[in-house]
Amino acid sequence: MTLGYVLMQNLRRNRMRTALTVIAFALPMAVFVAAISLVVALIQLNASLARELRLAVRSKITLTNYLPERMRKDIEGIDPQRQRLTAVCGMRWFGGRVPNTQNVIQSLGADPDTFPAVFSDVGMTEAEIEQWNRERVAAVVGKNIVEQHNWKLGDRVTLESTVPPYLALEFRIIKVVSTPGRTNGFYLRRDYFEEARKAGGFDAPACNVFWIKCNSVESLHSLQADIDALFANSPNETRSFDENAFIATFTQAVGDLPGLMRGMAIVVVCIVALVAGNTMMMSFRERIRELAVFKAIGFQSWRLFLIVIAESLTLAIAGAVLGIVPTATALSIFPPSKFGPLPIASLAISPIAIGVSFGIAVLVGLLAGLWPAYQAARLDTVSALRKVA
Amino acid sequence: MTLTLSYHWRNLFVRKTTTALTVLVIAAVVGTFTWLLGFVVALSDSLAVAADPRKVIVMQRGSISETNSALPPEDFNKLMQISEVASDGQPLISPEMMVQVSLARVRDGGTTQANVAVRGVTEAAFKVHRNVKLLGAAFSTGAPEIIVGRKAAQQFQGLQIGQSIRLGFSGTREYKVVGYFSAAGGPMESEIWGYLPSLQSAYGRTVYSAASLRLADGADAAAVVKQIDGPAIQLEAMTESEYWQNQSSNVRFYQAVCYVLVGMMSLAAVFSVANTMFSTVAGRTREIAMLRTIGFSPGQVRLGFVIESVLLSLVGGAIGCAGCAAYLAIMGNTKDMFGASNFTTIAFEIHLTPLIIAGAMLMVAIVGVLGSLAPASRAARIQAIAALREP
Repeated sequence: MTLGYVLMQNLRRNRMRTALTVIAFALPMAVFVAAISLVVALIQLNASLARELRLAVRSKITLTNYLPERMRKDIEGIDPQRQRLTAVCGMRWFGGRVPNTQNVIQSLGADPDTFPAVFSDVGMTEAEIEQWNRERVAAVVGKNIVEQHNWKLGDRVTLESTVPPYLALEFRIIKVVSTPGRTNGFYLRRDYFEEARKAGGFDAPACNVFWIKCNSVESLHSLQADIDALFANSPNETRSFDENAFIATFTQAVGDLPGLMRGMAIVVVCIVALVAGNTMMMSFRERIRELAVFKAIGFQSWRLFLIVIAESLTLAIAGAVLGIVPTATALSIFPPSKFGPLPIASLAISPIAIGVSFGIAVLVGLLAGLWPAYQAARLDTVSALRKVA
Repeated sequence: MTLTLSYHWRNLFVRKTTTALTVLVIAAVVGTFTWLLGFVVALSDSLAVAADPRKVIVMQRGSISETNSALPPEDFNKLMQISEVASDGQPLISPEMMVQVSLARVRDGGTTQANVAVRGVTEAAFKVHRNVKLLGAAFSTGAPEIIVGRKAAQQFQGLQIGQSIRLGFSGTREYKVVGYFSAAGGPMESEIWGYLPSLQSAYGRTVYSAASLRLADGADAAAVVKQIDGPAIQLEAMTESEYWQNQSSNVRFYQAVCYVLVGMMSLAAVFSVANTMFSTVAGRTREIAMLRTIGFSPGQVRLGFVIESVLLSLVGGAIGCAGCAAYLAIMGNTKDMFGASNFTTIAFEIHLTPLIIAGAMLMVAIVGVLGSLAPASRAARIQAIAALREP
C-alpha cells in the first residue's frame, strides 16, 4: 500500500469536500496571483529604472509649471567635464490625442540631440538614431499605443494636443518601443513642437522636466543636491527626483494601488490558510479511528504524519493550479496594460509571480496539515480506537 | 413545533475549531469587502456631489480638463449672450483659473506629494457653485490670501489657517490660508481657492482656464451646450456631470477591479461555508434522525441548517466589519486619487456608513444561504430509521 494510493483514496472518500476545498482555495489564489504579479511588475520596473541612473528635475511648485530652456545650459554647466552626468534631455508635455477621441496619450516632446543617450533603455539602433536626427517629424512610440490604434512602423499619424495652443501635428513612427514601462509613451522632437508653437505666437520654449543621465549612483545623489541648490532662491526653484521617486508621485496619486494589492495578497493568504486548515481539521477528526487502525497494524508515526501532510499539500497544489493557471492564461491573453491606468499598465504575469504564488500555496498546504499531522503521529492507538467518530 | 434559535446558536459551539476557522474566513472576506465598498462608495459619492445638472463648464475648444484650458476674456464675454443662464442682476457666470501645486501628504508624514488644484475665482463663484459654503473667513481681494477646501486641509501639509504656501509662476508669492470651505463632500473640497486677478498676476496670465455657468431653473442644458458649441460662440461646453464622468474614467476602472475581487472572494467564502455545513450535517446524522423521529418535518430540518449557516456567516460578518472599522481607525481612512486628465487630486475619506455595513451583512447572509443550500437539503433527505440504525 503506497503513500500515493492512500492519498488518492483519502481524497476520493469525500469528493464533495475535496471539490469544495479546491475551489475555495483556487478563487483566492487567482486573486493572489494577479495581485502579486502587479507587485512583482512594479518591483522589476523600479529595479530597471534604478539601473538607468536618471534624475528628473522639475519646478518645485508643481510639474505643470514650466522651466525655461536655458536651464539646460545651467545644469550642464555644473559638470563641464562630464564626470558626473552624461547628458541632459528637456521634455515638454504635448498631451496629444487621436482626433475625435477622448484618451490622452502620454506624449512628450524631447530634446532630439540627447534623447537617445538619456533614454538608452528605449534601445534605438544607429540607423534609428540617424533617422530620428534627420526627420523632424520622427516619433518613437510605445508598443501598446501602436497596437491600440492599429498603427505600424513608418505610419504617418496626427495627434491633437490638449494643451494650449492645441496644435495638431503630424508625426512619422520611426521606432516601436517594447521596453517595459515605456510601452505607453509617445516621444516626439521638442524642436518641431516648439517651432509650431512659435508659429502660433506662443511664448518662449520651456520644459516640464529635465532628465539627467548620471554616471554613477554617487554622482546622481550629488547632482540631485547640487541642482536644487543651484536654482534655490531663483525664480525657477527646482525639485529633483530619482526616476523611481518621480514615477512614484504618479503611482501614489492613483490611490496607492501597489499598497492595496499587497494588503489584498496578505488577506488572501490568510483566507486560503484558514480554508485549508479547516478542511484538514475536519477530515482528521473524521478519520481518527482509521488512522488508529493504520497505527495498530504497524504503520510508523512518521508515515501517518506524511499521509496527512501529503493530503493537505495535494489539496493546496490542486487549488493553486486551478486558480493560478486560468488567471495567468487570461491575463497573458488580455493584458490590462491595454486599457488600465499607470500602475496597472505595468501588470504582466511573470514567472516570478507564478513561482511565488505556488510557493505560498505549498507553504499554506504544509502549515495547514502540520497540526493534524502532528496529532496523527502521536496518536494513542488504544484510546483512538475506542473513540466514537 | 419549531426549533429555537438558541438550539442553532449552541450548535455552532459544538465544533469550536471548525466554526472558528470558518468564521475567520468569512471575517477576512467581509473585512476586505467592507473596505473596498467603502473605497468605492467614498469615491462615487464625492463625484456624485459634483454632478449638478444645472451647471455647465465651458472650456477652450480641444481641451478636456480645466487645468489645460485657456479661455481669453473676449471668448468669456460671449457667454453673456446666453439667455438660459440664471441671473441675479448679473448673469451667474464664474470665470476661473486652474493651476496646481505639489503638497506633501499628511498621512505618510510628507514622504509623498500630491498635485492639489488651485482655483482662482471671483465673487461669482460662490453664487454659481451653490454647495460651496465658507467655514470662517473669505480671502480678501487685496491681499495674497487663500481659502482651503475642508478635505484638502486634512490631507495636505501647510494648509492650516495662518500657514502659507508658495504659488505663482516662479513660486515666489506667499499666500496665507485664512479660511476653510466645504462643498457638500464634492471634489472641490480638495481644492484651494484664491482671488482670480491676484492668482492671474502671480502666474503672469491674462486668460482664464474655464468658466462655470449656472442655468436658470427649467433651462435645457443640452441646448445650452449646443449653443456654446457654435457657430456664434465656438467653445467646448459640458454639464458638470459629464465633466466629472470624463475625469473619473480611471476611477470606474478601479471600481470594476474592486467588484471583481470582492465577487471572487465572496464566492470562495460560499464554498468554505458549504464545506463546513456538509461536515456538520455528516457529523450530526443521528441527531437529525432523532429530530425527524420526534416529529420535525424535512422542511424544518432544512430550514434549521440554513439558519445555522446564516448565523455562522453573520458572526463572521460582524467580526469582519469590526475588524475593518478598527483597521480604518488605526491605519487612517484618507485616500486620494488622480483625475483622469487634469492631474490634480481628489481626496476622500472612507467611512463605514450604516449602508455599507448593511450591504456587507446582506452579502454575508447571502453567502450563508448559498453555502447551506446543498448541505441542508442533504440533511432533509436523511431517512430517520436508517440513520438511527447507523453505528
